[in-house]
Amino acid sequence: MPISEQDNVIFVIDDDEIIRRSCEQILQKSGYRVETFGNGYEGIERLKQVRPPLLVVDIKMPELDGFEVIKIVRNIDPDLVIVVITGYATIETAVDAMKMGAYDFIPKPFTPSELRLIIDRGCERWRLAKEAKLLRKQKAEVERKFVTLVSHQLKGPLGAVKQYLDVLLYTCHDQLPGETREWIIRSQARIAEMISLIQDWLMLAKLDRGALCDCGASSDLGQIVEGVLEEYRQLPSAAKIELSAEMAPGLAPACGDAVSLNMLVENLVSNAVKYNKPGGKVAVRAKADDEWITLEVRDTGVGIPPSFRSHLFEEFYRAKTTETQNIPGTGLGLVICKKIVDELGGSIEVDSKEGEYTIFTVRLPIAERRQEDQGIHGS
Amino acid sequence: MKMMSEPKTVLIIDDDSDYVRAIQALLESSGYKVRSASNGRDGLQLAKTLEPDLVLLDVMMSERTEGFFVLQEMRRIPALTDTPVIVVSSIYSDEPAFRVDPEAGWLPASLFLAKPMEPARLLAEAKRLTTKPSDSSAVAAGGRSL
Repeated sequence: MPISEQDNVIFVIDDDEIIRRSCEQILQKSGYRVETFGNGYEGIERLKQVRPPLLVVDIKMPELDGFEVIKIVRNIDPDLVIVVITGYATIETAVDAMKMGAYDFIPKPFTPSELRLIIDRGCERWRLAKEAKLLRKQKAEVERKFVTLVSHQLKGPLGAVKQYLDVLLYTCHDQLPGETREWIIRSQARIAEMISLIQDWLMLAKLDRGALCDCGASSDLGQIVEGVLEEYRQLPSAAKIELSAEMAPGLAPACGDAVSLNMLVENLVSNAVKYNKPGGKVAVRAKADDEWITLEVRDTGVGIPPSFRSHLFEEFYRAKTTETQNIPGTGLGLVICKKIVDELGGSIEVDSKEGEYTIFTVRLPIAERRQEDQGIHGS
Repeated sequence: MKMMSEPKTVLIIDDDSDYVRAIQALLESSGYKVRSASNGRDGLQLAKTLEPDLVLLDVMMSERTEGFFVLQEMRRIPALTDTPVIVVSSIYSDEPAFRVDPEAGWLPASLFLAKPMEPARLLAEAKRLTTKPSDSSAVAAGGRSL
């Protein structure tokens, strides 16, 4: 059933027929269309088909009471504005309802103009919230487009500069004094940072456009993890670190294409290596249950202070402490991880103890299961 | 047929003159003879007269698919059908999505490298692609890695 948003429909859920009738009459006079329901279940069912801006619901009802309706309904449509009808005008129930997410309350008995006033204000609030959401989205899109454009333009010139430096160092290595060589190496490193940032940014833009992840594809996570670990074992930066994998035998294929999943695993392993201690370990584990594959990347590194954890998946956020301030990075790696995971219908969480360990836990849907859920949609 | 003692020629077709300068210097320091063109048309002309041992071709020059068309056109020229081509790009970091259709009878490029490229890597690949057995009818060593 298609979900339609209708901005002049009001839902009324009340077991009292008189209240339902009078709400209907009062609000219809104001030009609203009203749908009434004698119990919470009916209203909730209908909510899955129509998205009204506002719901009027009685607190005290025999089957499903108002509080329960509020709880369920806020999960279905977080934008829905809720007005509760309270019987005894006790402030407590009204306040409790508002703490649960109701916008306003109206005590019985109420006059037509009292009802209209609250409903009008509630609908206006809904409209404004929708508009603000749309504007924020558009603003983000414009910003993203702009930065992407600039990044494309920057790539060429930066590449040319780095190419000169690379060739210079290669061909004149022995003729250059030590410090000159050092300066060139530092310049190369700074440019490499910029190029890396641009690449990450462009990757994010691609993810946002939905041009990267293929949710219809399925991949062998075991192979991907082994590939990434092998690559990292060769790197000088991982020389003193033990990289290991423990993949459950016969692991089901994960939802997602190899490129995206590779990027996901690589970003997590890269962090695990970067923020580790010499002689430390990085362990990747994966197992599956009926619905999900759980992938864990654990390191014995410096850990993440609790205050930083909530910002971890924000763009350009780098958790900088005295220990980590010199670690290079674009601050986009985890954002990319989160976007890939979100796009594939999974989740990512972090657990950490400062100075001891950090564990990233990713859940990904199992490929067959995803396809079942989508029914005919398939791949 | 070229004698083994003659330096190998590399043709660079790329509109970024800085990149060309840097790579030319690199290749010349390793004994290659280098010529360059800054657009597809001049590049093709030069390729016909030069018959280079290796071509470095940027996929996107002034137009989106200019490099791709140059490659197509090159393969139509009998003397250049087997010429090793390294396709390069500063925009793409992995091989770009379009490929020459092998069914159409054109050979694809030999290799894709993202700019900026590591000098050691370029030199190793250039050596690999330009070293062929002395029998001129044999397929170029290293073949098609795409």
